[in-house]
Amino acid sequence: MTGGEVLGEEDADGLPDVRIGSLGDYGTWLLAGPAQKSTGETLLEHLKRLGPNRCSSPSVLRSVVRDSGLRGRGGGGFPLARKLETALLAPGEPILLVNASESEPASRKDATLCQHRPHLVLDGAAIAAALIGATEAVIYMHHGSHDVYGALQLALAERRAAQLADPVWRTLMGPDRYVAGEASAIANRLEGGEALPSFSPHPMAFRGPSGRPTVVNNCETLAQLSLLVRMGAVAWRNGGTLSSPGPQLLTLVGAVADSGIVVEVVGSATIGQVLEHVGVSAPPAALLVGGYAGTWLTGDVAWCTPLNRVALNCVGADPGCGLLGVLPREACGLSETARLVSYLAGESAGQCGPCAHGLPALAERMEAIARGSLRHRSQAQLRSLGDAVFGSGACAHPDGVVRLIRSALDVFDEELHHHRHRRCSGSKNSPIFPVPLPKPRS
Amino acid sequence: MKPERSVLVRIDPIRCRGHAICSLLFSEGIELDRWGYGRVAVETAEDGRSIRRAYRAAAACPNGAVQVIQLDSSGEQQPPDKPPLHVLHEQ
Repeated sequence: MTGGEVLGEEDADGLPDVRIGSLGDYGTWLLAGPAQKSTGETLLEHLKRLGPNRCSSPSVLRSVVRDSGLRGRGGGGFPLARKLETALLAPGEPILLVNASESEPASRKDATLCQHRPHLVLDGAAIAAALIGATEAVIYMHHGSHDVYGALQLALAERRAAQLADPVWRTLMGPDRYVAGEASAIANRLEGGEALPSFSPHPMAFRGPSGRPTVVNNCETLAQLSLLVRMGAVAWRNGGTLSSPGPQLLTLVGAVADSGIVVEVVGSATIGQVLEHVGVSAPPAALLVGGYAGTWLTGDVAWCTPLNRVALNCVGADPGCGLLGVLPREACGLSETARLVSYLAGESAGQCGPCAHGLPALAERMEAIARGSLRHRSQAQLRSLGDAVFGSGACAHPDGVVRLIRSALDVFDEELHHHRHRRCSGSKNSPIFPVPLPKPRS
Repeated sequence: MKPERSVLVRIDPIRCRGHAICSLLFSEGIELDRWGYGRVAVETAEDGRSIRRAYRAAAACPNGAVQVIQLDSSGEQQPPDKPPLHVLHEQ
């Protein structure tokens, strides 16, 4: 077949069958093992199930990571190999930071891993530390994540008692705020500063705030790393597709039977297949893909879109942190967007002018549209304000908000028309997507 | 000292307080957004005049928000150092 390189991604390397499952389900990779219980998998259980952590020489590890094509799973999607290689090239002793803060309000995948498969994450951290030559690994969490903290402390105690060839573990706590989970914010917190994003012309893996190479990795990325080192790059890649190799963890929120459920997709699946797995039988009104600062897709488009980077990019979305938000038919997408934008605007650190001025203005206009007090030029104003804010911050926070608004204006075109005539098709007034209550800034 | 081939101009949005001096001194590279904060329009300066103006803008910013980074011939970033004085005093 000609043109197979383009069309045949799934045929070429995807497994014939897709396996979608939650914690402990047969066929899953990351979530395989014991089903949900109150405590995490112990070190003994973990070693019995997967065997010891194969920490081979750094050069072998490097080639395995490079061949795997693993990208960061925290939202940025940065290739792990490039981050690690940058740290290797940079002067100074590197620091490894494990981001267990999962600041995305509705995402539960990292918490699920930390609570139930802590040693998978810690194995990955040990491998990453060995690879870059870091003697210390710092695990970063929010003050409020008591469950994650407890599970990881227990797991760390087990590892210390077993005297594994691990780096020196340290934990670091940060405030329960959205931007406090951003990589540079974590690095600043490590230096004793506030957990606020900072601006540097260099990648942090080259030179962080401390002057040392600082590698920040998301929990899922590290869990994937420990899996792929055990399996080998080729076998691990088969858990996904060409553009999104390896299995994927997803959090489903909104109009699903069990909102906040974490599922793992092994193989190549469409969003529709995943939704069917969690009991959504027909395309919803719309789907929020990649996080609260993600992209809206109409339900019909999303339903048949394969869950891989290339396909999602084609429809204007990005895998992000693996969040899929299901908007039911009886809800108003504009009201939901306005609520999310208000929340995100309130979470701005207020450090950069355009973000501090722009996000509240965007939130106000979005609220006005949701209320139905929509003027002729509201939409155009919202878009031009978004253009002014986009790309102007030290971190990607304002960009995410603008992306959310832009996609909402595209997807909820019909609803905008209703709102212009002071109608709203949302019969369900209760919020669909959970947002944390506003907290006073410390 | 060898003359620089090209420099990369960056604005630290956290430090920028909208004094707007940079856009006066380096108007071809920095523009102002609707709130008056500096925004890099052209990331790299290649000719000697632009490079000098970029360094002057960096030196004039009261908050040190404008950063000028030397690029080596391969386009790789060099660690930032203080703006070479001869560039500032030339002309």
